[in-house]
Amino acid sequence: MTSSAADRVARFVDDLLRGRRPRRFKASPDEAEAMAAAAGLVAARAGADLPDKAALDRIHQRLSARLDESPRIEARFTRRAWLRTFSTAAAAAFVGVALDEVLTRQGPTGPVATGPAVLTPDGGQWRPVAAVTQLPEGHAILVSTGSVDAVVVNDGGQISAVSGICTHLGCRLQPDDADKRLSCPCHQTAFSWSGKVLYYRLKAAPPDLPSIESRVRDGQIELFVV
Amino acid sequence: MLRVVGLIELRPGGDPEPKIENEPAAAIYTDWESVYQDNVVGIYQLAFRRVGNAADAEDVAEDVMIRTLKTLRFPAPVHNVRSYLVKTAKTVLADHWRSHYSAQNVALELEQLPPQELAGPSNTVASERAQRLLGLLPDQFRRVLELRFLLGYSVREAANEMGVTESNARVLQFRALRKAAELEREVLG
Repeated sequence: MTSSAADRVARFVDDLLRGRRPRRFKASPDEAEAMAAAAGLVAARAGADLPDKAALDRIHQRLSARLDESPRIEARFTRRAWLRTFSTAAAAAFVGVALDEVLTRQGPTGPVATGPAVLTPDGGQWRPVAAVTQLPEGHAILVSTGSVDAVVVNDGGQISAVSGICTHLGCRLQPDDADKRLSCPCHQTAFSWSGKVLYYRLKAAPPDLPSIESRVRDGQIELFVV
Repeated sequence: MLRVVGLIELRPGGDPEPKIENEPAAAIYTDWESVYQDNVVGIYQLAFRRVGNAADAEDVAEDVMIRTLKTLRFPAPVHNVRSYLVKTAKTVLADHWRSHYSAQNVALELEQLPPQELAGPSNTVASERAQRLLGLLPDQFRRVLELRFLLGYSVREAANEMGVTESNARVLQFRALRKAAELEREVLG
């Protein structure tokens, strides 16, 4: 009895670990409990619970098909009625949201990202920003030169730097050593340590982060900045 | 004096980042696209953490968005929409466990979860929680789950590594998962 329950749960776990959709079956309460725990463990692996862009595109497409066919008149009426009720304060909030829409939607569809950019400021010079010893392998730190916020990364002994400011609306990025990514606290955009957009939940992809020239001199990490 | 009514902070619990000038407080959703863009990743993550695979998580996330968006009337306050999304997600996940595995107990637990925020982009917290959970398990249980879930061993490889039969490894895994579920409920809350 226990053995067959263990077999069924093992098959379920195999499917999860191989990224397959498990088959349906009638589970006992004990089996179901074990299966729920297995789902939690699979999801705890780094990056496992992030959707890929294709999945988000599919969801968006199907939502568009289902929702855009609804009659528009109802939404317009509701909005008008709401505006009457909340008057000025509501209008102020609308301006905020509308501005966000304008700033967010850089184009009708598709990414706006261009090729990798390198920040090479006029009148730039090499400036020390941290000692090499302050940045062990597998870590990233935020530094500021007053004019430039940067993230300096030590990826397997290779030191590099990218802009520390999100290319969407300018929030300061937060290095996440565990997942080797830079996360924007404002709209959850995430970049790789090399500055590539890993995912976004905006209408269009923000550009990749500009890289910043870096070097190591006399035990100091230096960036070419102003 | 202009009195702002119903302006809701987007990031409850305090934002460590200074507010930037050109970023408006998004207090109200005016269309389904905004709701989608703001929440689809969080809903997908919430679903994935309960189903453990991408195909089902995608279906659940889509179902949650559809059910929520079909009943919403715009404009709608952000915090109301998010609470409704999470509530709907619990219902859809409970339905998933009932319809796929006849699992009334898991479904009930999901329905009774306390209110929660949508997750951020990193699952570091979930990883740390899993590590703590593994740390609480007896050695053999911890070992089989580490081999399977952290190192990606097959049942056969895990059995060889532990010096047990495949059948024993399956039973160990089953018991370890049940113990993990029990600890999760009783110790980690």
